[in-house]
Amino acid sequence: MYNLRLSAEQLEFRDTVREFVAQEVKPVAVSPQRLEAAERRLPMELLDKASGVGLRTLALSEELGGAGADNLTCCLVTEELAAGDADVAAVLTETSTLGHMLFDRLMTPIQRERFLPQFLADHRYHLALADHEPETDSALGVNYHRPVASEARIRTTAARTASGDWVINGVKDCVANAPVAKLIAVQVRTEADAPGAEGESMLLVPRETQGLVVRETADRWYHGACGELAMRDCLVPAGNLLGATGKGPLIPGAGSSGRGAAVYAALNLGIGRAAYEAALDYAKLRVQGGRRLIEHQAIGTKLAEIAIRLEVARAAIWQAAWASDHPEAVADRSLADLPLQTIAGVFTAEAVYRAAKDAAECFGAMGVMKDMPLQKYIHDALVCLHSGSGNSDAKLRIAEALAGSRRP
Amino acid sequence: MDFSLNEEQRAWQMKARKFALEEIRPISLERDRIADPHETFDWEIVKQGSRLGFRTAVVSKERGGHGIDFVTQALVMAELAKGDSAISKTFSQCWKWSHLIAAVCTEEQKGRFLGPFVADDTFVLGSGSTEPSSGSDNRLPPEDDPKAGIKLRAERRGDEWILNGDKVFIANGSIAKLFFLSARTNPHVPVSAGTTRFLVSSDTPGFRVGKVFNKSGWRFYQNAELIFENARVPHANLVGEVNRGRAEDGVGGLFNDLELAANAIGVCEAACEQALHTARTRMQGGRPLKDQQVVQLKFGRMHMLTEALRSYVLRVAWECDQKIRSPHAALLVNFSSDVIQEVTELCMDIHDGAGATMDLGVDKLVRDSFIWTHLAGDSVLRMKAARRIAK
Repeated sequence: MYNLRLSAEQLEFRDTVREFVAQEVKPVAVSPQRLEAAERRLPMELLDKASGVGLRTLALSEELGGAGADNLTCCLVTEELAAGDADVAAVLTETSTLGHMLFDRLMTPIQRERFLPQFLADHRYHLALADHEPETDSALGVNYHRPVASEARIRTTAARTASGDWVINGVKDCVANAPVAKLIAVQVRTEADAPGAEGESMLLVPRETQGLVVRETADRWYHGACGELAMRDCLVPAGNLLGATGKGPLIPGAGSSGRGAAVYAALNLGIGRAAYEAALDYAKLRVQGGRRLIEHQAIGTKLAEIAIRLEVARAAIWQAAWASDHPEAVADRSLADLPLQTIAGVFTAEAVYRAAKDAAECFGAMGVMKDMPLQKYIHDALVCLHSGSGNSDAKLRIAEALAGSRRP
Repeated sequence: MDFSLNEEQRAWQMKARKFALEEIRPISLERDRIADPHETFDWEIVKQGSRLGFRTAVVSKERGGHGIDFVTQALVMAELAKGDSAISKTFSQCWKWSHLIAAVCTEEQKGRFLGPFVADDTFVLGSGSTEPSSGSDNRLPPEDDPKAGIKLRAERRGDEWILNGDKVFIANGSIAKLFFLSARTNPHVPVSAGTTRFLVSSDTPGFRVGKVFNKSGWRFYQNAELIFENARVPHANLVGEVNRGRAEDGVGGLFNDLELAANAIGVCEAACEQALHTARTRMQGGRPLKDQQVVQLKFGRMHMLTEALRSYVLRVAWECDQKIRSPHAALLVNFSSDVIQEVTELCMDIHDGAGATMDLGVDKLVRDSFIWTHLAGDSVLRMKAARRIAK
């Protein structure tokens, strides 16, 4: 059996979001102040409206008050959102993915009772995961096919007080959603002597915690919101421990093999689609050389190549997302036992960057003008291609998997 | 075969290298970061470069310039571009039109325009062809369509021509004192047979500069809108013959292609230097990045492409000096677009893993490289090269 038909529900989700993007997001996204990558601020009112139609709590289960969307549905929605505005898509996707991870999978019933009502009630209640620290290296690089060095990746410490509470000290950076998050899951070292991840734990840190300072990352090379956390004697109750101590990283971040990776590729795809749609519209309208641009072979094949790249990327993303929704499909050998999400991510990043450049070329000089959206699509695609450890490193991870060696 | 440079070529190269390193590079990134496209420009660097001879380098010695050959021109453009691609182009844009003045102007016109040009450190040249509805149409005109191409009208009235219309994206538009301007003198025939070229001074009555275009790359370079409302140009400023403005203009025409490709060498060199510095100094797992195979493959390829481009540029420059006509200049500019984009992208690849930030200089090199496929229409340039081969 092979079936790529979306369910009636998935189609409805997609149509609803597409309509929302056309009516609400796109007009804001192409306004002059949002075309300048370095200057653009988050459109908070738009994020509020998106939350109002349920996109902030998309992946959260229905029992807990969300939409209970599976990974594939989340990919459909994220592509649509990013075709409108990559920043809006990034913030919502991060909160939605973490909402599912934290509330559905990791929190105890008591923790849920403490945090869920506010999360559901407040359109501006966003979530973040702080698992990266300055001067630490998450690249595989020199450790390709070698054991990862045992030096501490996490230097932020959490010390236990006499009453069992935690006192956190340390700095985190590259934290997606940090400037807008009201609850942050922070990776800390709870046992100084335990090797590597064995001494690491996760603590829930509310935004208003005394001693927590959040600073927005200055140079804008990310989508959505990003920032740095400085924690100085941050006291959080014993009950904020997520899972058990010494359990290491519980949430695979976006970009790794977790649920976030396919959604992030879908975001990237949405950027490519925005560029493609702009180029196609223009090529059907603009006349040079006595005919419409698309009627010239050089431009026609360029558009065809863009369409090929985006269609193949979408197929790879859907397969990866569906595989994560149906792990049994790998177990019964329907799908290859490979890091499908990483594969989809790498292909999409390269395909979309190329597509965005080609789309911009259809516009001639207007393709590099800052009052036109094409240069923004290229910038946004470059950010996807060159964020985290980059595609070269992802290829090393895929190569290790091909050799049968798997890392956590 | 002899690849060595003569003493004069070497001297110009070293002078340009020093100027790029000491004066251009220090202001490159700060100029790029200025938000207002009109404010990115800096007269000081133009004056300094002019005093060193870069502005007037290709005007003949008899007319007060330096008369450097094409090989030297290529070397200087590459060196200046290593400091900042757009600043290099601001100077070489003056060369492009100096070549044209030498090729198509009368002795009277040469005397009238080159004198003030040579004497004034802030005298910059430009040329206007592209219009809102005609970009590719001017470069690859449809043979049978009089409606395509330049619409800016020029009509004779006594000793003057009256110009009406708009030009867009015009290089040095907001700063030049003199423009070659292509205007339609017969709207009933294809653009190739109905266009006339005029020399238009920036103080011409009825002429004004409109907006300065806000580009993502080459931000220093001023591309502006030129507006003509009953602008009055003396008949003495007509260049060549009426309706013959699109005719071949000798070896100077090859300069356009050589110029972009030579400039690209400088950008590629800057990218190679930047990438090697990162590969040598950034550590991962206690070892420099350059020890890793994936990084070696990248900077190896960057250097390979850069050196291949340099060889091709110097060959074409040499052909220009020998007055050899070949399709190589046209192919060269296509090749330079491929090389500059791949090399600057590989440089950015090597900078991956820096988390949520990207080196601003590395990002600038990539943004500057995009200009190559947006300047004169990438598909058009490739078609022109191919058609020359098949002719």
